[in-house]
Amino acid sequence: MTDLSFTEEQRDCLQELINVAMGLASDKLARFLNTFVHLQVPAIGLVNAAEIPEQFRGQYQGLHSSMISLGFFGDGGLRGETILLYQLENAGKIAALLGYDDDATSEAEMLTDISSILTTTFLNGLAEQLDNSFSYAAPRVISSRDNDFISKLEQTAFHWQLALKVDIRYELTDYSFDCNMILLIPGEAVLKLKTILDNVLADF
Amino acid sequence: MALTALICDDSLLARNQMKKSLPAEFDAAIVTATNGLEALTVLRSQEVGVVFLDLTMPELDGVGVLEAIKAEKMDVFVIVVSADIQPEMQKRVMDLGALAFIQKPVNTDKLSAVMRQYGLI
Repeated sequence: MTDLSFTEEQRDCLQELINVAMGLASDKLARFLNTFVHLQVPAIGLVNAAEIPEQFRGQYQGLHSSMISLGFFGDGGLRGETILLYQLENAGKIAALLGYDDDATSEAEMLTDISSILTTTFLNGLAEQLDNSFSYAAPRVISSRDNDFISKLEQTAFHWQLALKVDIRYELTDYSFDCNMILLIPGEAVLKLKTILDNVLADF
Repeated sequence: MALTALICDDSLLARNQMKKSLPAEFDAAIVTATNGLEALTVLRSQEVGVVFLDLTMPELDGVGVLEAIKAEKMDVFVIVVSADIQPEMQKRVMDLGALAFIQKPVNTDKLSAVMRQYGLI
């Protein structure tokens, strides 16, 4: 069996690349919303994709949540799917900041826009540091106003081997909201990622 | 006597990147810290000429370090090296007395230019 686990050096390397990508994403978000984003060290965790649904059950149990998927495809077989997960009540706050009128726009449209801002800027920043470039599938709302999204998460996670969990807290000047970003990566892309990280590490 | 330079960053990769990005002609003893509290311990216990300071760190962040340096009137150059590139953050650290702000990943030319400007090389 191929070893998909990361060494401590690889994990530290990935954490730092993620910090830099978060910095780029927060800067975009701050400029877009004309506010200040307080950056914290995002908690990352690498887990077996099959364990993902159980890990989020407790946090989101019984709450209306929004779950949006975005597929990404990079060079050299680096690909995967990101899932942005947050409580739906937070969506209202972001929508207000983005100037959405409750009636004018469909909820699905609003949710995909938010996902695009939070996820795509982050992934672009990550890709740039990996000397890669990502293209994206159209975002897909997997679930909203749905208490049973865990089963949907199970169906999605089922296709992948490794999950990179990134817990992010966006703290803006006036309020804060939490969201979870999950990068689901297939086994061969994990190997590719490990090789890239080793190359980055070898440079320093 | 050679200068002592402190590299403060919670990431081993970032500390190594920083070390390697320093100009060859920079004659200094390098010490490291992995968060703001460790950095302050170093700064209070020995003479340090320049700090390369990350901002987003556990325990105590870079802004906290700058505030302590200012409050305790420590005589040290601070060059902020951070991924948090928001204009407001850059202004905040410069207002707190940082010499310069360098965006991560470190550009060696920019770093050399800043260090030359302040007579560090």
